[in-house]
Amino acid sequence: MDESIIRLQAIKKYYDESTHVLEDLNLIIHKGAWTSIMGPSGSGKTTLLNIIGCLDSATAGTVFINGTEITKLNQTQLTRFRRENIGLIFQQYHLVPYLTALENVMLAQYYHGVIDEGKAIEALKKVGLEHRLDHIPSHLSGGEQQRVCIARALINEPKILLADEPTGNLDQKNGEIVLDLIKQLHAEGHTIILVTHNPEIAKLGQRIITVIDGKICSDSTCTSEINET
Amino acid sequence: MFLRILGKSILKRKSRIAIAVVSVLIGASVATALLTVSLDVSEKVSLEFRKYGANLLIVPHSDTIEVGFPGVEFGSVTEQRYINESDIWKIKAIYWRNNVMGFAPFLYQVVTARSDQAEQRIVLAGTYFNRTIHIQSPYAPQDPTTFTTGVQIISPWWHIKGDWIHDQNDTSSCMVGAAVAEKLNLSVGDTISVTYTEQYGSTANTSAYNFTVVGIIMTDGYEDNQIFVNLQVAQEISQRPGKLHTIQVSALCNACPVETFADEIKELIPYVDGRSVKQLVNAEMDILGKIQNMMFLVTIVALIASALGVMTTMITSVIERQKEIGLMKSVGAENRKIISLFLSEATIIGVIGGIIGYLVGLILAQLIGLSVFSLSITPRFEIIPIAIGISVGVALLASILPVRRAVSVEPAIVLRGE
Repeated sequence: MDESIIRLQAIKKYYDESTHVLEDLNLIIHKGAWTSIMGPSGSGKTTLLNIIGCLDSATAGTVFINGTEITKLNQTQLTRFRRENIGLIFQQYHLVPYLTALENVMLAQYYHGVIDEGKAIEALKKVGLEHRLDHIPSHLSGGEQQRVCIARALINEPKILLADEPTGNLDQKNGEIVLDLIKQLHAEGHTIILVTHNPEIAKLGQRIITVIDGKICSDSTCTSEINET
Repeated sequence: MFLRILGKSILKRKSRIAIAVVSVLIGASVATALLTVSLDVSEKVSLEFRKYGANLLIVPHSDTIEVGFPGVEFGSVTEQRYINESDIWKIKAIYWRNNVMGFAPFLYQVVTARSDQAEQRIVLAGTYFNRTIHIQSPYAPQDPTTFTTGVQIISPWWHIKGDWIHDQNDTSSCMVGAAVAEKLNLSVGDTISVTYTEQYGSTANTSAYNFTVVGIIMTDGYEDNQIFVNLQVAQEISQRPGKLHTIQVSALCNACPVETFADEIKELIPYVDGRSVKQLVNAEMDILGKIQNMMFLVTIVALIASALGVMTTMITSVIERQKEIGLMKSVGAENRKIISLFLSEATIIGVIGGIIGYLVGLILAQLIGLSVFSLSITPRFEIIPIAIGISVGVALLASILPVRRAVSVEPAIVLRGE
């Protein structure tokens, strides 16, 4: 039985003739796995994350997520698919500056079509922010903002969590709090894909993929083959 | 949740929204001011024109023969006809009765006028100076049953040396035109003798009357060559009791051509024709048309400037909020949610700008009215929905490009960190 939740086949991403970001990239990620993606800046790891997160489209190739070929979906269908299946955790947190912590979480509920304030409060309790519900982002520390971002990513119960350098802007203590939360989410069965420059954080995953020049390199060996855990 | 996002988004960007509101406000205030001035001045300019005399002449219907050249007619081929004085009240019983500012009947007769020093054949005109008539059958039950009218009402611009004839039963006073006064060497208080000879076959019947000159009329028009007496005096002299030659009507209506009045009057008095005083009507329509065209153009320019202001502000706002828009999309906002957010903001900007613009426009209207037309402008509350509607329309139109730009923001922008 195929337990893959994400399958990328011969993915290419060109911005123009001379800018080839991803080259014939193949990747399978299994349900419930924690995959860390590493690579130097400009290697294409964020573009890879964007394509998996339905935020960007591939120039060529096919992408299956949870059994759906997302490369065939139009923009509106992609938006719906994303909000139902994928949670996003950003390095810059990206909270709406004029909404409170609670409202930022409820924003994802609103776009999902189901607003449940109690559930949003629960999500913030889960990340330890029950005392910060009515604070706007500028009144929260970086770690607290990232936890709001995690609560927002979780609120619609997505199967896949994509994290782009989630601890990149945090001090060690707050970084550990955030990583503990991600570990907890993984333990609960979420599929985690985490982009990081930090090898120690990458090692928390069951699998480490290194992307260089738009190709997947693993164990110092560049390859275009399908990698399986 | 939508209202929370909308409200907080507006409060967060108060200065930006304020700039957009000011842009709308400028357009709305100019539109309000010029619309108010245009409507008010149209009425007041029409009223001013009414001071320069009647704009509709009612005459008895007469048959004519065309002589072969377009527009050239042979004249009346039937006997001299008259209008019955008993029908005159009907002019105030038509549908547009409230727009009939006044009217004056006239019966003319050529007479011989004699003073101590000279003699002259002159037109004697009998008319109402300032008479209250009874409206026998008002158009609507609530309408008044009396109406005060006369030449003093429809021709207030006449320059009078001396006085008007105030008593409608006065049979011994007359007013004479300036040219008559000069030819007969008359002054106010002098006596004038008038004789009229009616020919019946081979016999002639001559009647003579003496009048005291109470006023000398100066119009620089045909009135300067006439003698004016109360209507019943002229009817008695010419032995045509209850008869009139013409009725001069002063009609005020911006929404309808003066011919409409003529048609209405003809319905009630079928044996008359109405002829508009073309020169006056055309001048009036021409001036009003020019005023309105100018104001329309200025309003359009102001609204375009206003729309450009709103568009620039909103495009700046979209550029500033690219990440916010990208974030909203990345957490699941469809384009229609983004569109509705921006259009709602534009609507609020339009409503606020429209209301404040209306109030500022009223002040502007007063300034324009006083400085340009020397008239005080009456506020018109029916313009409020128009001002708000125009403002919202301008704000929404100006939002089309910014909204397109917002919709084109890619959600990937939040991950790229651009």
